[in-house]
Amino acid sequence: MPSFPILQRSSEEKILYSDRLTLERQKLTVCPIIDGEEHLRLLNFQHNFITRIQNISNLQRLIFLDLYDNQIEEISGLSTLRSLRVLLLGKNRIKKISNLENLKSLDVLDLHGNQISKIENVSHLCDLRVLNLARNLLSHVDNLNGLDSLTELNLRHNQITFVRDVDNLPCLQRLFLSFNNISTFESVCCLADSTSLSDITFDGNPIAQESWYKHTILQNMMQLRQLDMKRITEEERRMASVIAKKEEEKKRESQKQSLLKEKKRLTINNVARKWDLQQHRVTSIAANQDRKDSDSPSQDPCQVDGSTISAFPEETGSLDSALSNALQGLSVTDTHLVEVDGDTLSLYGSGALESLDRNWSVQTAGMVTTVSFTFIEFDEIVQVLPKLKIKFPNSLHLKFKETNLVMLQQFNALAQLRRIDQLTIDPQGNPVVSFTLWKYYVLFRLSHFSMQKINGTEVTQNDMIMAERLFGILAHVASSELPQYRLISILGDARKKQFRYLLETKGKKPGVVSEENNDSKRLVGENTNRATLNYTTRDFYNEKLEEIKEKKKFCKMYIEDLVKEATEINMKNEALQKLWPQMFIELVRDAVIEIRNKSSYMKLCLQQITDQK
Amino acid sequence: MATERAGTWLPEAGKLELGSCCGPRMLSPERLALTDYEYLAQRHVLTYMEDAVCQLLENKEDISQYGIARFFTEYFNSVCQGTHILFREFSFIQATPHNRASFLRAFWRCFRTVGKNGDLLTMKEYHCLLQLLCPDFPLELTQKAARIVLMDDAMDCLMSFSDFLFAFQIQFYYSEFLESVAAIYQDLLSGKNPNTVIVPTSSSGQHRQRPALGEASMLEGVEASLFYQCLENLCDRHKYSCPPPALVKEVLSNVQRLTFYGFLVALSKHHGINQALGALPDKGDLMHDPAMDEELERL
Repeated sequence: MPSFPILQRSSEEKILYSDRLTLERQKLTVCPIIDGEEHLRLLNFQHNFITRIQNISNLQRLIFLDLYDNQIEEISGLSTLRSLRVLLLGKNRIKKISNLENLKSLDVLDLHGNQISKIENVSHLCDLRVLNLARNLLSHVDNLNGLDSLTELNLRHNQITFVRDVDNLPCLQRLFLSFNNISTFESVCCLADSTSLSDITFDGNPIAQESWYKHTILQNMMQLRQLDMKRITEEERRMASVIAKKEEEKKRESQKQSLLKEKKRLTINNVARKWDLQQHRVTSIAANQDRKDSDSPSQDPCQVDGSTISAFPEETGSLDSALSNALQGLSVTDTHLVEVDGDTLSLYGSGALESLDRNWSVQTAGMVTTVSFTFIEFDEIVQVLPKLKIKFPNSLHLKFKETNLVMLQQFNALAQLRRIDQLTIDPQGNPVVSFTLWKYYVLFRLSHFSMQKINGTEVTQNDMIMAERLFGILAHVASSELPQYRLISILGDARKKQFRYLLETKGKKPGVVSEENNDSKRLVGENTNRATLNYTTRDFYNEKLEEIKEKKKFCKMYIEDLVKEATEINMKNEALQKLWPQMFIELVRDAVIEIRNKSSYMKLCLQQITDQK
Repeated sequence: MATERAGTWLPEAGKLELGSCCGPRMLSPERLALTDYEYLAQRHVLTYMEDAVCQLLENKEDISQYGIARFFTEYFNSVCQGTHILFREFSFIQATPHNRASFLRAFWRCFRTVGKNGDLLTMKEYHCLLQLLCPDFPLELTQKAARIVLMDDAMDCLMSFSDFLFAFQIQFYYSEFLESVAAIYQDLLSGKNPNTVIVPTSSSGQHRQRPALGEASMLEGVEASLFYQCLENLCDRHKYSCPPPALVKEVLSNVQRLTFYGFLVALSKHHGINQALGALPDKGDLMHDPAMDEELERL
């Protein structure tokens, strides 16, 4: 059995310091047996080498026990000290909080500088006011119920990542979390619910480096008076609330944006699906049922930040409603999409073309320089080009994707626009791009636009020369070899007068240049020699041919009649030719016979004269 | 001559004179045997008259401005010059041999530069170019022409301008004739009696052009001389235009046996037939058009 040193004080000391005993820096390695000091109230063992708490069970009056800076590895031997109010065990080697069951009167518990990794076995300490667990190995804080008197909790210099249950501490006023590992407010969100907290520190945590740190803490913990050991001013509080409001709005706004984006994506998918069905001529009943045409587009949501205006033909409820509700609304299929994003007008689906009829504000329409068509038949686009010209006068760049551009002739339709600087034809859904000569044809037909770029590549002088070389003859043939009446009928009413005027002035002497000549040249606006190269959509063309059928039938009959007449006349003529000699002889014979008898002939003539009267 | 009997109107060097016929023919018995209407129809006079009146009706407001006489002058001038088919509908372009020849010539003149540039194009792209001149030109014709060039193989292949043009000429100008030939060829292949009367319908012919290789004899195609006999019969009876039988004989005399597409390719490459048609210049001169160049220079 190991022998303990036995401590005995002189009676003088006992009387002088009857209730307190200091054994500081005594190089003690074990607790000595303290004899005859049962009324001791304060015991100080600071700065020794004690490894176990022993031999103090008899000191049942002990109120204050200081074992700071020893080598204690386990809390033990305190079960009899029911009156203990202050227990100082800082700077030891304690790994676990335990064996404090009977210390119900504990007021201050100091366990700083140990190796404690978990808060436990303290829920019975309902009188505890100060708990110091600084410089331990705590990784999180929970299990704090029962500490109904706790006023100060020191958790500095641990590895805490989250804090829980602090709102179960009804009296907690000061909480020190400096130099831990807290990075988000969510990890300490229970603090917001604690009404008693007035003093908190977060310095040395990652969260304190964030830009939103101060105002988030202040906004969520209105009850605080000090943060990081500094008083919180009214100004700071006000700022915090303002910033918090702004952030809230920003979050709402981005939510709205992502909602819009989602809706847009779904719409485009739906339009794409419909387009595919159309192209492959697959009949789908489901598609027909989903189709919801809306005649009146609902009101556009207001402009936000001047960047995006989105218009949907079917608004499903207010966009401010809860995310889940709005997302449910998105499952309703839209058949087309119109979007204006700064300088680009994007149209998806043929229904979108109707939007060109809408009343666009001059400012919005004037800003649009790029128009993009997707999932719309080119033939349908051709019909709205005049509207585009008027409503969006500054559109200089046209983009076509999945628009069924299949023949070069279709590019002729673009000539009617005022001007195009750039043209982008996406290979997807536009077979015409697979042709070798398509770019040259575009440059040739639309030479009056002086285009800068086609499909992102600059147009060079060589390209223009090549285009003219390849198709120049076509233009020459189309203008000078057509009879005049055909030229005029092809060019249509609008150009009739202009062109006719030009043709008439062709005959004038080259030296004479009249004012009107120049004007009309400007009016025409494009090379007249290729103006006859037009494009009529297949449907219109077939319609026209149908209309002509009637006329053709009539012409056929008319000509037949003419031929009949002509052949009849011809036959009569031939018959006359045949009969004439005979007829002539008979005529002569008749005349001779008549004149044979002079006297009777004279009588006959006189008779005829009198008859005439 | 057999050629004239077949009713082919042979324009010389692109110039055509309406109503021109050699003296002795005026009183030939065949001519007088026809009724007036039939005679006029055979010469396609009625086609042009009807079309002229139709055009007049279509554009009466404009034409009334400068007079009907001038209109008719312009119209028939353009028929002579071969420009009347520009941008017209397909039914008109294929109506008469002269129209077809004019169209071929117009196509050559407009797009010879494409050939000169050396670009090889796909069948679809040539079809596109055709559509620039005739918006409703049918794709089947272009496809058939391409088949001749590519020997019914790999339809996506690129073709040179001259190859395509000459094949297209044969296919377009003699399309009815070729249909009948195809029917004859199929019959010969399957061993039917070649002297029976064959009446080709529109649905027959081109579908069966693909020879049933599995059933064919060890030797490919048909015997040339037998084939020629059938063709000669065909030319005699045919009311559409055919290539001059003498030239066809020439083509067939060079080989023992030949396939259908081999025959067509030989037709398309034969200088004599090209000249007899008169629409296009010789292959060697295909890229040259001094008349057009002169005109362009003047501008």
